[in-house]
Amino acid sequence: MPAELLGRITVFCFAASYAVAFAVELFRTFQARPALRWLALAFTGAGIVAHTAFVTVNKLPLQTSFGSLIFLAWILAVFCFYGAVHHRRLAWELFVLPLVLGLVLLAQLFPMGAPSGQSSGGWQIFDFEDMQFWAVLHGILMLLAFVGISVGFVASVMFLVQTHRLKTKQLPGQGLKLWSLERLEAMNRRSIMLAFPLLTSGLLIAAWQMFGMPDGGLGLENWKVLSTVALWIVFAVLLYLRYSVRAGGKQVALLTIAAFGLMLVALIAVHPFTPGGAP
Amino acid sequence: MIPLLAVGCSFRNTPVEVRERFAFNPEKLVQALDLLGQRYGAEAVILSTCNRVELYVAPSDAALGPDVERIAAFLAQMHELPVSDIYPHLYHHQGADAVRHLFRVAASLDSMIVGEGQIGGQVKRAYETAHERSAVGPVLHAAFQHAQRAAKRVRTETGIARGNVSVSSAAVAYVREVFDHFHDKTIVVLGAGKMGELTLKHLRQLNPKRILVANRSPEKAEAVAKGCGGTAVRWEQLDDVLAQADIVLSTTGAPEPIVTRERYKGVLAKRPSGWPVVILDIAVPRDFDPRIHDGDRTFLFNIDDLQRIREQTLQGRLKHVAPAEAIIEQEQARFLSEWGRKKNGPIIARLSQDFEAKRQEIVRQLLAKLNGKYDDADRAQIEGAFRLLQNKFLHGPISALAEEPPGEHRHTLLEALRKLFGLQDN
Repeated sequence: MPAELLGRITVFCFAASYAVAFAVELFRTFQARPALRWLALAFTGAGIVAHTAFVTVNKLPLQTSFGSLIFLAWILAVFCFYGAVHHRRLAWELFVLPLVLGLVLLAQLFPMGAPSGQSSGGWQIFDFEDMQFWAVLHGILMLLAFVGISVGFVASVMFLVQTHRLKTKQLPGQGLKLWSLERLEAMNRRSIMLAFPLLTSGLLIAAWQMFGMPDGGLGLENWKVLSTVALWIVFAVLLYLRYSVRAGGKQVALLTIAAFGLMLVALIAVHPFTPGGAP
Repeated sequence: MIPLLAVGCSFRNTPVEVRERFAFNPEKLVQALDLLGQRYGAEAVILSTCNRVELYVAPSDAALGPDVERIAAFLAQMHELPVSDIYPHLYHHQGADAVRHLFRVAASLDSMIVGEGQIGGQVKRAYETAHERSAVGPVLHAAFQHAQRAAKRVRTETGIARGNVSVSSAAVAYVREVFDHFHDKTIVVLGAGKMGELTLKHLRQLNPKRILVANRSPEKAEAVAKGCGGTAVRWEQLDDVLAQADIVLSTTGAPEPIVTRERYKGVLAKRPSGWPVVILDIAVPRDFDPRIHDGDRTFLFNIDDLQRIREQTLQGRLKHVAPAEAIIEQEQARFLSEWGRKKNGPIIARLSQDFEAKRQEIVRQLLAKLNGKYDDADRAQIEGAFRLLQNKFLHGPISALAEEPPGEHRHTLLEALRKLFGLQDN
């Protein structure tokens, strides 16, 4: 694809694709036609292609809110596509696509950040020249932890919906197709188990990096630092509840949703590594 | 018209005591298929279920093939009954109607419980049995294979097969909404009620880790445990047993609830907090206090809940009947059109071959008369002109045949073409 054409891809292109895929998937819950599934997959796939091109061409800096939100949305879109292909009976896209769209829309509240080659001192995920190794490692670990939290969030929402259906004794096997409570709880548990060590490692690297910054100190007045520390604490509580107290799936699901909220705060807050406090 | 005849009786017009006399056991069914072929030279498939007995017959020669009277006589002979006992119960469908009937039966639109899944398999087995006996030819091959495709479309494109229509399947569906795997699960069975037998059978198919059976009578507990491969436990241990359960199936005949809310609190206190339990209380009167259902740690479904599922499912399925019928109409039209093309194909081929042979002969004679007084360009022009004439002659009849929808008119048209152009069937 010519570079000029790729350069013309905007956030609207892939957001619109995801929105259409979501609408088709929603319609499919009322009209179960195989063609609709393929249509939804096609639009999700088209969205991912455009999203990939956008991320690649613009070399988004990960330490900006825009960059991290768009990149996280991209990983989740790929996850959504994979899930939709492998679990065709499940209402997978109905739960993951709104999350992807939400992250993309949230990113629109923030500036795109310095384009490639014009950054001054900040690191970029695709620009390995002048990169600071530890900062990049921190960014990647945090991003992967956020993917885990997002997957846990999706599993938790599905779990609560399924619990509600069972509580109100709705017809089994009708309406939205969801996994069993046990499987959703396992999915949530695995995502927490994966995200926690990544988050801890990312935080430790960040703490070490911040000690080395000119103004020194942890910068606890920074929202990003505060929310990320709070996120880590919530995760520690989640693990304690899950393995020591053996709390019910509902409690764990609600706490995972709270952790996701804190993750969003951490994502949109000013990054302490960003020179000049941008964005 | 497609030479297909469907004759039979079903729950709609025949009581079960009559249907069971018409039913074919496997030996008799094979014998009947062989006899139909020998006697009438007809393709045949026999569908014999608890709700219907139907014969689908496609004679190779319409004049010699069986009609309803002959089928009634044949059934009477097979079942050693007077024809007068059989004939009044039989319905029949012919040609396109028979195709539609077969498609509706396969898609479970003619079933007692619309959308039930068994009939599809029964139609398939009936066809396979006939195929094994070489009783199936081009008509029934095409019709039954298309019927299975039509049934699949109905199942996948409408919600007619969704949901559970029996208490036991609804119970298992609920269990599956909570648990994913069962190799580490404990099922506790309370009582020995007849109503629970089918549900227990379904639960056993999930391959649980263990089944514990508690009954006030140790002998009955032993008997049930033996029947389901479980272990009998003492009734006095009930609270401890319930604390270990993942799934409880309760079918006692107790006049009052066995597990009250207060008693259940004690059971919950013994269970790890993040461990849900599904209780299937199909006893009447109920064995568990309904207030223990909290939708978090305890999921309780009683007989009313499960029967409500059945009613809602049946109601829900009715909404899908009209779209399902529309699919059947489409598939019937598609099948008949494909059949027509298949049927017309040889006629068109013979017509073309006949004209082609005549054209070549005339051109050969003409060129011989010209005795070499032409060049290659002249020869090409002559051949081209005759080919054009041939195509113009053929265009009319072939188009008329292709455009004529399946039915009596097409049949008349085919006959006319055969006579007008002197075409013989091979």
